[in-house]
Amino acid sequence: MRNLILSCFFFVLILSSMISGCGNDQSIKYQRYFADGSQLYKVHCESCHMNDGSGLAALIPPLSDSTFLIQNRKKLACFVVYGLNDSIQIKGKIYQNLMPAEKHLAPIDLAKVLTYITNSFGNQQGIYDVKEVERNLQHCN
Amino acid sequence: MRFFLPVFCLFLALFACQSETKKLPILGNKSAEIKIINGKEVVDSVYQTIPNFSFIDQDSVIINNDSLKNSIYIADFFFTSCPSICPIMSKHMLSIYEKYKGNQEVKFLSHSIDPNHDSIPVLKKYATKLGVSGNQWHFLWGNKDVVYQLAKEGYMSFAAQDSTVPGGITHSGYFLLIDKQRRIRGAYDGTDKTQVDQLTKDIEVLLAEYPQQK
Repeated sequence: MRNLILSCFFFVLILSSMISGCGNDQSIKYQRYFADGSQLYKVHCESCHMNDGSGLAALIPPLSDSTFLIQNRKKLACFVVYGLNDSIQIKGKIYQNLMPAEKHLAPIDLAKVLTYITNSFGNQQGIYDVKEVERNLQHCN
Repeated sequence: MRFFLPVFCLFLALFACQSETKKLPILGNKSAEIKIINGKEVVDSVYQTIPNFSFIDQDSVIINNDSLKNSIYIADFFFTSCPSICPIMSKHMLSIYEKYKGNQEVKFLSHSIDPNHDSIPVLKKYATKLGVSGNQWHFLWGNKDVVYQLAKEGYMSFAAQDSTVPGGITHSGYFLLIDKQRRIRGAYDGTDKTQVDQLTKDIEVLLAEYPQQK
């Protein structure tokens, strides 16, 4: 009887650690994306969008408009790669300045930097996977 | 009574320290000039000054040394389509501008180093979008060679065309603090928050040199 209880106990222990281990895999990936993304942000985005994502007056839009980022989630990778020259509306304000293209960024780096942006500055969208980036990049116009 | 003298000396030393006012250094090249004052030869040091210039600002107003003779000013070099260090410089400059808005003793000059693209209307639009109005912050348009020359020889800065960098023009991101005698009194990295904070402190020190106009 004692042996049965002990083995049950260990079985539950191993099972629970396996379950939580599986969960951690995703969260480790997210954390790696986010951490790498914050470094990429510093190099490629920060000089215009600022370290707090606040942008610059009416010249450069902030990255804190969660609604815009959710509604345009599929276009975000295209915005970074090809830049923007249309006017866009962020937080009720129109921005018309050119956004330079960052054509040299690889999909994995785009995924990381977008994960960072969509989970910082008040945004909370979870991971932006590299597969999602690759899929969305095929529909840039 | 035995202690009186050392204690007195200590007090004297303390007060001597307090009465000493801080002054900013005078930067740039210095040369010695021999002048004759009252029939005697006197050696006087001559400091580097900003050479004469005349440019047009975002409101099509001519800005030259005369327009700035009653103010200290902060100068920098930028261009409106600059993707690298300019936005953060503009943001820092804007924070100083907001602090001294309305104080005509403090002015701001931003020299465009891309006159082909940055026409007067483009500069005006940039200023407006930055939230700058009035006549304190001038965004200046001038001949490219003249501006590059002024950057190098006047402000000890540099600006040059370079097709390898984003935006096509490379330049130093310094803010230069200039006094009313056109001398350089400070140079600060306009991309660095701590140095910009130091500049804000130094503006106060420099303004204190001109008490009669306050």
